[in-house]
Amino acid sequence: MNSRAEPSEKTNFALLLQFDMQIDGFSSNWAYCDRLSSFVARMIGHNRTDSLLYSNLFSSAFNELLETAFRIHAPGSDFVCRIWRKGPTDRIELTIPCDTELSAFYKDAVDTLGESNLAERYHSALFSDGPLQPSIGLMELAVDYKARLSIAAAGDRAIQLVAELSLEDVNQ
Amino acid sequence: MLDTLTPTYTARFDENSQELSLIGSMRPQHEADMAKCLQVLEQSLRLVRGTLYINVKRLVRVNNIAFRILAAALVNAATERPDLKIKIITSSVVGWSTKKFGVLSAVNANLIIEEYDNEFYPGQTFVENSDFIHVLRTQTKMTWRHERSILPRHGLKPGMKVADICSGIGDFAVLMQKEFNPSRIVALDHSKSSLAYARGVAEEFGISGIEYVYGDASEMLLEDNQFDFVTCRHALQVFDRPELILKELFRICKPGGRVYVTNEKNSHCLGEPHGESIQWTYTEVAKLWHHFNMDIECGPKSRRLLQDSGFDKIQMESFMVTNLDGDPQDFADIIESWKNLFAGDMAKQRGDSPEFIERFKRGFDDHIFAALHPKGYAGWPIWVASGRKPL
Ligand SMILES: C[S@@+](CC[C@H](N)C(=O)[O-])C[C@H]1O[C@@H](n2cnc3c(N)ncnc32)[C@H](O)[C@@H]1O
Repeated sequence: MNSRAEPSEKTNFALLLQFDMQIDGFSSNWAYCDRLSSFVARMIGHNRTDSLLYSNLFSSAFNELLETAFRIHAPGSDFVCRIWRKGPTDRIELTIPCDTELSAFYKDAVDTLGESNLAERYHSALFSDGPLQPSIGLMELAVDYKARLSIAAAGDRAIQLVAELSLEDVNQ
Repeated sequence: MLDTLTPTYTARFDENSQELSLIGSMRPQHEADMAKCLQVLEQSLRLVRGTLYINVKRLVRVNNIAFRILAAALVNAATERPDLKIKIITSSVVGWSTKKFGVLSAVNANLIIEEYDNEFYPGQTFVENSDFIHVLRTQTKMTWRHERSILPRHGLKPGMKVADICSGIGDFAVLMQKEFNPSRIVALDHSKSSLAYARGVAEEFGISGIEYVYGDASEMLLEDNQFDFVTCRHALQVFDRPELILKELFRICKPGGRVYVTNEKNSHCLGEPHGESIQWTYTEVAKLWHHFNMDIECGPKSRRLLQDSGFDKIQMESFMVTNLDGDPQDFADIIESWKNLFAGDMAKQRGDSPEFIERFKRGFDDHIFAALHPKGYAGWPIWVASGRKPL
């Protein structure tokens, strides 16, 4: 069964924030993931019902995306991050430089999020020995945060990874 | 006590309570960065018997690298020590935490996840009762007549960053915002129903800018040294360990800023006519609260409490809400709802006899009578204390 919800059409989303960086700069310091996710979370949590609770959830989800991009990207071009909002939904768009092989990783990871045994796969990735599965963050977003993820090509040397989150509902 | 500090998190084991507290942020790049945490876990495992508590209430961030290491170590501990129960205490305030740690109990039944939320102080069920929520409105309306002019004496000025901790239904925050126009205002409480009410009121009256936050005043997620003026009203007296809340008020206050608390001494409520009956009943009120581990006599102790928590330049005063402040019916309404709560749920739960309850109620009725009587006088005294966080 394929039950994965696709992100909605991007109509009526308002752009809240945009960051453009060199991917090489971003990936030169691991702490940027934490700082960027916490900063953005604080900015956009402000007008949610419970700003602290919201920021904390958003920061956790966003950080996993950033850590994924930190680990899996091709060097040498722009890394773009945009945050959009429509009502209860926040949409994170990451443009990540990728060669063919890395694009295939993202495509594959997002495609399999629709499979029915996703939660089991995520839990076994949490408890497996050996190195961290690079797609673990994406799985967590889909399972624990009910994120709707999708991927599109962005030119021939980058992909655009989109995650839509309705975190106030997740927390109910 | 074993104490380990890394730049982003603390892992500390307290042998007396067999509790390992993990506090802060764990978002390492490498698994090796978790070594300190694992080391403290191992040390704790050597020392505990029966139940090991892992307190993650203030572990606000954990990435999957850290979680996997922690999870593996806990599963391993549970396997190697089948004699041991490992209770992981999460908090509903950290939204992802219970779900994330929850997966552990499916792996080993001796890994138990408990969300610290309900029943976390003895009187919570009474205080969060919906009738009680309602009476807070009238109380705040009456105390504001006094506090509005008291607050500036204790250092509140326009444009400050303020926080009202244990804000209840939030009316006081709204009043502070209107009168003192703070540059930031946070209202924090641990009652979801009170916060929902507060947000509803704000929306209805088009009030914006107040950050309503769900949280535990004794372990807040607000950062250190944030606020110029921190208020905490009628709350130290309902929490069984007020010193824990004061420690947190101190922490979030800026050096040079002030913390302002108000508390009651219910046995000093008074009225005429029927002074004796009124006095008897309120002396019993104090005992009743004491039975549930709450100190409604806390008012005059505020000076000591502030001093013991490290504040200096302590200022203290008291005021009396009376039936002559505005509409006497407001005063009578407050007493009526006290009667319902104290002589109703609370006395019943303590197992009081019908005779006692009848006499107990009479004092409240006499207080109401005094309040509404054209020649009567009825009062409810409140102690205000504030202290400065040293520079
Ligand atoms: C008597 S009410 C006073 C409320 C408000 N300050 C007022 O004056 O109307 C006490 C409040 O303290 C809150 N409270 C008690 N212990 C708390 C804690 N540890 N953390 C957050 N709120 C707490 C209760 O939920 C309740 O709303």
